[in-house]
Amino acid sequence: MQSQTKTKFIATSAMFVCLALVFSYVEVLVPFSVGIPGVKLGLANLVIIIALYEMDFKYAFVINAIRIVIAGLLFSGLFGMMYSIAGGLLSILVMWALKKTGLFSMIGVSMAGGLAHNLGQLLVAAFLVSNLKMFIYFPVLMFSGIGSGILIGIVSYIIDKKLPKYLFR
Amino acid sequence: MFKVIKKADIILFFVLVILSSIITAVAFGGAEKGSTVEVTVDGKLYGTYSLDKDQTIEIKQDKATNKITIKDGQVQMSDSTCKNQICVEAGAICETNQSIVCLPNKVMIEIVGGEGGFDAVAN
Repeated sequence: MQSQTKTKFIATSAMFVCLALVFSYVEVLVPFSVGIPGVKLGLANLVIIIALYEMDFKYAFVINAIRIVIAGLLFSGLFGMMYSIAGGLLSILVMWALKKTGLFSMIGVSMAGGLAHNLGQLLVAAFLVSNLKMFIYFPVLMFSGIGSGILIGIVSYIIDKKLPKYLFR
Repeated sequence: MFKVIKKADIILFFVLVILSSIITAVAFGGAEKGSTVEVTVDGKLYGTYSLDKDQTIEIKQDKATNKITIKDGQVQMSDSTCKNQICVEAGAICETNQSIVCLPNKVMIEIVGGEGGFDAVAN
């Protein structure tokens, strides 16, 4: 990779981290939830998907990781961060794998990512609290993950088309 | 706009929905079946019995007698000397947190889960 492109990528990544953080903050300010903890729109995932498609897995991964750590420290505390790390890691790995197959559109990738995110959080929750009550959230989180994933996928597809391409090359 | 959705997306959608449903069903199925019966008489624990072992428990108090039958993993109040017979009519139970109460004789049957069950960590 040319050093000029690399510099550009780093600058864009930094901008994306900020953007993702703002989205996280917006979600803290205006909860789209329906009263169930864990059900979120996942606006920050918009940024991650576009980074995954336009830049590279490497960059998307780093952007996601930095976003999670900073958002965790700022908004949800260390404990909440653990949930986010598991969800974020699983989600980005799944999205990367699905994108690599080339079979799926952005919407399908985002849908699987949303589900993977919630699944990762559930796994951590199952690990931390061996409690049956948690399973009440199971169906809600699974289906809300699919739903919000589709929504975010559609929006990121629209945004991706309108973004100026010189950001990435 | 909707041309972007590929066939694989739709297949993936259904696969994920079905997968979620199965996991949900398994999670709920596994959580519900209780394993132990707790019998309380007049607020005090009378005894704990396994749901797997078929047996009849007779509880005798001053004037009242209750018969509890455990059979095929289910428990029921098979006989009671009380007047209203609500406990007998309640039938057999087998799931966690279900209970049969005989108020006149102050006998209560409760089913508790095998391991852990509910604890305070949830909050």
